[in-house]
Amino acid sequence: MARQLTFSIFRYNPNKPGDKPRMQEYSFEEFEGLTMFVALNKIREEMDPTLMFDFVCRAAICGSCAMMINGRPRLACKTMTINLPSRITVMPLPVFKLIGDLSVDTGTWFRNLQVKTESWIHTNKKFDPNALEVRMENKIAEQIYEPERCVECGCCVATCVTANIREDFIGATGINRVSRFMMDPRDERSDAEYYEVVGNEDGAFGCVGLMACADLCPMEIPLQTQLAYARRKMAAAGLKLQFAGVKIS
Amino acid sequence: MELAKNLQKTLNKSYGKTDLYVDLAESITGIILVGFLWMHMLFVGTIYINNGALFNALSEGLDKYYLAQIGIPATVLVILLHIFMAGRRAPMRLRDLRIAWRLSKMINHYDTWVWVGQVITALLIGIFASMHLWTIMTTWPIEAVKSAHRVAEPGVAFWGGFSIPYYLIFYAIFLLVGEYHAGFGLYRILVKWGWFERHKMGWVLKGITVIIICIGVGALYMFTQVAKMYPHAGGAL
Ligand code: HEM
Ligand code: SF4
Ligand code: SF4
Ligand code: FES
Repeated sequence: MARQLTFSIFRYNPNKPGDKPRMQEYSFEEFEGLTMFVALNKIREEMDPTLMFDFVCRAAICGSCAMMINGRPRLACKTMTINLPSRITVMPLPVFKLIGDLSVDTGTWFRNLQVKTESWIHTNKKFDPNALEVRMENKIAEQIYEPERCVECGCCVATCVTANIREDFIGATGINRVSRFMMDPRDERSDAEYYEVVGNEDGAFGCVGLMACADLCPMEIPLQTQLAYARRKMAAAGLKLQFAGVKIS
Repeated sequence: MELAKNLQKTLNKSYGKTDLYVDLAESITGIILVGFLWMHMLFVGTIYINNGALFNALSEGLDKYYLAQIGIPATVLVILLHIFMAGRRAPMRLRDLRIAWRLSKMINHYDTWVWVGQVITALLIGIFASMHLWTIMTTWPIEAVKSAHRVAEPGVAFWGGFSIPYYLIFYAIFLLVGEYHAGFGLYRILVKWGWFERHKMGWVLKGITVIIICIGVGALYMFTQVAKMYPHAGGAL
C-alpha cells in the first residue's frame, strides 16, 4: 500500500504586503519514482498555484532546485521521497536572499563570487581562431574536472556555520572554484595573485573545517581535499610574499 | 599579467599576512597544547609505578632544573594565545550564537555538533584550568601523597553520612572535557590542512583519546590507593 505523504512547506512572500511567514501542509499518496521535484510540481499544479520554487533542468545540472529538505540542503530533483519519512519539512536555503516560499536568489551571490574571485582564465596569449586547440594532459584535465563539476546550487554555503555568520566568507564553493584555476596551467596568475584573492579570512583561512559542505554537497565534490589544497597552497605562497606596506599615521 | 594584477587590486582589499599568521597561530598553538596535554597525562601516569616514587622523582627533577618554573608560565602563555586565536572562530555576538545553534539543530550533522561541543568544552577548560593551576601553585611543590589526598578528599558530608568527593569529580570532568577538546581539535587541524581520509583518521584519534582517558581514570584510581597506603597527608614515601 502506498504511503500518505505530508509536506510541510515554508510559505512567505516578502513582496506581498501583510504576508506573514508560516508553514503550510499538503498531503497526497506516494507513487513510484516520486522525487521532491515532481511532488512540488504536483502540489503547484493540483493544489496551490501560488507556491513558489525554482527548477530548470530536473536532472541535477542547473543547481537551481536546492532547498532544505528535512533540515538538510538537497537538490529537489535528485531527492527521492522513498528515502524520506512520510512527513517532509521543506524550507528555503538560508544565507541567500529570499524571493518567496522556497525560491531564493543564489544568482546574485554567485555573480559576486565570480567577480570577487575572477573566475575566468587569465592569460596574455592572443587567441588565434585558426590554430589547433592546445592539448592538455589527461591527468590535469581530470584533476580540474573534479572541482569543475560544481553546479552552483549553494548547498555548501547554506549548511556552513561560517558562511551563515560571516557574510563575506566565499564558502566551500568559492574556495573550490579558485583551486580549480590554480590547477589549470592555462591560467597565468601567480600564487601571489591568488593569495590576493583567497589568502585571507574571507577565503581559504576562513574555513573552520566542519565539513558539512563536504558531507552534503549533492555533486559529491571532494571539498575537503579542495579546501585543504587551497589552504596549504595559500599558506606557502603567503609566507614567501613581501609586502611593501603602508604606514598609516 | 599586468591586466590581471590591476583588476585584482581594484576589486579586492589587500589583506597582507595577518589572516595567514593568525590562522597558523591557531593551529600551531593547538598542536602544542595537544602535545602538552598528552605529555602531562603520561607524567601523571607515573603514579602507577612504585606507588608514586617515580612521580615524586619527576616532580623534583622538573623543579630542580627549573623546567616547571619555565614550563608552567610558557604553557599559560600558549593557552592565552590560543584563546585569542581559536576563540575568534567561535560565534561571539548573540545573533551569531543563535544562528549557529539553530543551524546545528536543523542540519543535525555529526562534525558540526562536534564543533559545538568544542566551543562548549573550551569555556569549561577556561574555568577548570584556572582552578587547577590555582590549586597546584598554592600547594607547591607537587608530591604524590599530597595529590593522592587531594583526589581522595572525602569532601563535604551531607546528612546520613553521604558526601561528595568534589576533587575527584572535578578531575574526572576536567579529564573528559580536556581530552574531548584536544582530540577533536587535532582532528580538525588535520582535516583543514591535511591529505588524510578523515573518517579513518577520526577513528585513530578517537582510539588515542580513549586510551588517554583510560590512563587518566586509572591514575585517579591509583591516587585513591596511594592515599589509603599513606593515611597521613604529610607522610613521606
Ligand atoms: C581556556 C582554554 C581554551 C579555550 C577558550 C579554547 C578555545 C577553542 C576554540 C573556541 C576552538 C575552536 C576554534 C575553531 O573551531 O577553529 C578551539 C580549538 C582547538 N583547541 Fe582550544 N581552547 C582552550 C584550551 C585548549 C587546550 C588546553 C588545548 C589542548 C589540549 C586546546 C586545543 C585545541 C585544538 C587542537 C583546537 C583546534 C584548532 C584548529 O582547529 O586549528 N585548546 N579552542
Ligand atoms: S560545491 Fe557542491 S554544494 Fe557547493 S555549490 Fe557546488 S555543487 Fe553545490
Ligand atoms: S568545512 Fe569550511 S567551508 Fe565547509 S562547512 Fe565547514 S567551515 Fe564551511
Ligand atoms: S532542477 Fe536543475 S538541479 Fe534540480
